[in-house]
Amino acid sequence: MIKRVRALPYRTELGLMLVPYLLGVAGLIGLPALLSVGMAFVFYDALSPPTWAGLANFREILTDPTDPLFKIALANSLYFVALAVPLRTLGALGLALWLNRQRRGVGLYRAAVYLPTVIPDVAYALIWLWIFNPLYGPVNLTLNALNLPTPGWLADGDTAKLVFVIMALFQIGEGFVVLLAGLQNIPPEYYASAAVDGANRWQILRHLTLPLLAPWLLLLTVRDVILSFQTTFTANFIMTGGGPYYATLFLPMEIYNEAFDAFRFGPGAAMMLLMFALTAALIGVMFSFLNDWREADEH
Amino acid sequence: MSIFRKIYAWHLTLLVLLLTACQPTPPTATSDKVSFMVFGDPAELKAYQTLVKVFITQHPEIEIELIHIPGQSDYRQRLAADFAAGTPADVVLINYRRLAGFAIKHALEPLGPYLDQSAALNATDFYTPALDAFYWQGQHVCIPQNISSLVVYYNQDLFEAAGMAYPQTGWTWDDFLATAQALTKDTDGDGATDQYGLGVEPEFIRVAPFIWQNGGDLATPLGLTLGTPEALAAVQWFVNWQVTHHIVPGRAEEESESSESRFQNGRTAMYLNSRRIVPTLREAATFEWDVAPLPQNVARATLLHADAYCLAAVSKAKDAAWTFIEFANSADGQTLIAKTGRTVPSLKAVAESPAFLDPTVKPAHSQVFLDEIPYIFRLPLVPGWVDIEEITSAELQRAFYGDAPVAEAMVSAVTRAAPYFTEND
Repeated sequence: MIKRVRALPYRTELGLMLVPYLLGVAGLIGLPALLSVGMAFVFYDALSPPTWAGLANFREILTDPTDPLFKIALANSLYFVALAVPLRTLGALGLALWLNRQRRGVGLYRAAVYLPTVIPDVAYALIWLWIFNPLYGPVNLTLNALNLPTPGWLADGDTAKLVFVIMALFQIGEGFVVLLAGLQNIPPEYYASAAVDGANRWQILRHLTLPLLAPWLLLLTVRDVILSFQTTFTANFIMTGGGPYYATLFLPMEIYNEAFDAFRFGPGAAMMLLMFALTAALIGVMFSFLNDWREADEH
Repeated sequence: MSIFRKIYAWHLTLLVLLLTACQPTPPTATSDKVSFMVFGDPAELKAYQTLVKVFITQHPEIEIELIHIPGQSDYRQRLAADFAAGTPADVVLINYRRLAGFAIKHALEPLGPYLDQSAALNATDFYTPALDAFYWQGQHVCIPQNISSLVVYYNQDLFEAAGMAYPQTGWTWDDFLATAQALTKDTDGDGATDQYGLGVEPEFIRVAPFIWQNGGDLATPLGLTLGTPEALAAVQWFVNWQVTHHIVPGRAEEESESSESRFQNGRTAMYLNSRRIVPTLREAATFEWDVAPLPQNVARATLLHADAYCLAAVSKAKDAAWTFIEFANSADGQTLIAKTGRTVPSLKAVAESPAFLDPTVKPAHSQVFLDEIPYIFRLPLVPGWVDIEEITSAELQRAFYGDAPVAEAMVSAVTRAAPYFTEND
């Protein structure tokens, strides 16, 4: 006789299915993250046991005049976030608006926009290293052929950071897809009503499309702020190592150098905590702006 | 320390230990199994494989696990990570510039007592500068595998095409500069330099010999001494190669193609490096090349480059590991490795044998490396030396590419490096 097994409630089943992932996240992300928080308050070089440091690691990275690298890396990362996030969001928005309507070959264009996003980071860095090679790269060869000045790009402290921003502008596939989905969620009747009211294209964009896309744009911007603080590492490591003279030393690279090259885990973890706090603060500022904007809009 | 702080520190230690315990079991679980980690190109790997093979035929009771990391930079990171995880290989190769960082934490088993009792090895068989470079707090910590130094590699074809005599021992700074200037050429007349007289990485370890040659020094136990007139003049002379004389590639040119690659491709007449690039040049260079000593000024000096076989303090197979180190540093062991071309043997008997000096194998004048030994200077053994070197190289590059005056860059290097001299005290 077959014994009938009582079915578990649907939500419990779902919960059970999540258990392996939750364990993985807890063990591989949660626990190390907690450990990193703790490490910010100790001296630890991995070869001897940790000793209590209190706030000394924070004082060292913020106030030590002989070690300006954290402040340089912080300024570089803020520069990158300030340029890359708006430009990437605007780029994704512009392309989503342009490629929203069904027309011939649109699938191909959409794929072309998404394609650079799936290139592995190392390969992507190597491609750009060649593109911006000061003597043999296609960018400078073209500029030279046009008798235009040829910057040193990664060899020049003034232009090196810009290369990282330019590189980031081509990996906007995910944001593009999110905004495309957002645009396609807007009911066509709204546009029909706006057309009946005689709204022009700019008015439709300003008063209809953008407000309806606002939650998507916010999601995208928040995600991009978090990512932009973190995703420079591979390219940074492969292309410049932080040079010339720290011009491209971004926070992840500095944290890596401090923790895994110099084995000063305390200051490395303190930098990581500050980066985390800064990211949270920036996102907080964005939400506060959004709330002000909503309130102003409602009035 | 308050109770709270003690509890906090212990909890963190426990967490670290917990994570460490999750690491794979160290490869030193059995007493007769020895892990041996090295870096090097395929030719070197082959030599190490032969070394292990020959050792096993003589000591079948010991099993050797060879761990090979191709790049030196990756090797250094792997080494540090393995020590941090408490699972280093039993026998590792360490450069003396990194020795103090490990030694001060007692991560290495001092090999002096083993050497004293060895029937196969004798301290007097080694070149003293190499042995001394691994001497820390009254003990020989590791046994040196090699004793390389900074020399001038030169492209004989380019010298002959220009009708220039090859560099000779005793040549001066003026001779060196004049030679490099004569060999820097715009061969196609387009206004851009196509052939550089010299290639060099603007790093602290490259400028160091010239500071000694000018009567200066790098550091005291309290900090760098790069602000002395002798040191500043030497650094200025080095920087002028790029800023004033343009005998070395500028920043954009170096970014486009490294000096090492330019030399390998036959477009640079002279290149400064240690013995490291010999295997690559033997394989890749399509021109005739040889080595010469560095030029000299008020003194003759070059920089020691040396690696040693070290024994991890946490090894569970110390006796077996020492037996292997003893063999690797015997005449037979060093001969096998010397044949790759990568090393200048630290054992006098091997260095002075055809295994190293064979004139039919390039470079024809390997004797240059041995002639330089009496003039070898070494870098200070300071736990934070790697950081000091990185900071000073960054400041030097600023001056080398004309972004800051030499004096300003060196003052900055001295200031920024100062904390690392007192760290770990």
